[in-house]
Amino acid sequence: MNRTRAVTLCAMLTALALALSFAERLIPLEAVVPLPGVKLGLANIVTMFALYQLGARYALAVLVCRCALSSLLWGGPTALWFSLAGGLLALGAMALAKRAKFLSVYGVSLCGAACHNLGQILAAMAVLRSVSVASYLPFLLVVSVFTGLLTGAAASSVFRALSHVPRAEGGEK
Amino acid sequence: MNDLSFRRGDAAVIALILAAAISVAAAFALAAVSHGGGAVAEVRRDGELIATLPLSEDARLVVEGGYTNVVVVASGAVCIESSDCPGGDCVRSGRISRPGRALVCLPNRVEVRVVSETAAPYVDAVAS
Repeated sequence: MNRTRAVTLCAMLTALALALSFAERLIPLEAVVPLPGVKLGLANIVTMFALYQLGARYALAVLVCRCALSSLLWGGPTALWFSLAGGLLALGAMALAKRAKFLSVYGVSLCGAACHNLGQILAAMAVLRSVSVASYLPFLLVVSVFTGLLTGAAASSVFRALSHVPRAEGGEK
Repeated sequence: MNDLSFRRGDAAVIALILAAAISVAAAFALAAVSHGGGAVAEVRRDGELIATLPLSEDARLVVEGGYTNVVVVASGAVCIESSDCPGGDCVRSGRISRPGRALVCLPNRVEVRVVSETAAPYVDAVAS
């Protein structure tokens, strides 16, 4: 895949990730799980797709653009740092987990979901200069098992459906 | 390319995440138990202690920052009764009374933390 195609694909993926972030705001997840701040993490499917299809560097670009744009649209500067902290840690964990031969896309997605929550808690600990925020981490981790499995299943079916599409340069062969 | 179907290694990841959750929860529970004594709510903004409210006395505190949180202590528990922050997650966090638990309003950078009155600094308790 040439550079122009890759950049265009990145732009489309960023738009898709933003649309998914918006869509998951419409799902009243807090009615099922009464924990504030719990999200499905649908945008993580896009990060995984970019990671597998284009490689870690393009996935990073999509992630940073998505975080910047969503904080402009909804969050604000504080939200930017939180989504970046979660997103970067999640991407790093997924890039590592992807190399593990004994993990499927489910395992990769689970690592991403758990590390996303870990990153957000670490950011909260830094902003509030407090350790006790971490008492919230166990709840988030348990929820991340379910959301990680869900996004893993979504990514698995996306990859299955697109298995005939030739893989990009720099992505997994 | 990783497999697309669930594998045994994935189950190990789940076990690992749950084990991490349990050990963090256990660390906080232990730290809370080892303290005892009456619980107080410490209200912090930007990490700076601005008020200490004993949970035994009903109280009401308005915390001004970029936004306004109304912190209320009633019948042995503390909650953020109302807030004009975007999201309102702090209000939805409900009432807490156990040492080690905390209410957080990130937009306002406010934290309401329950600690036991006799407690050594909480940070040390977790580390030890």
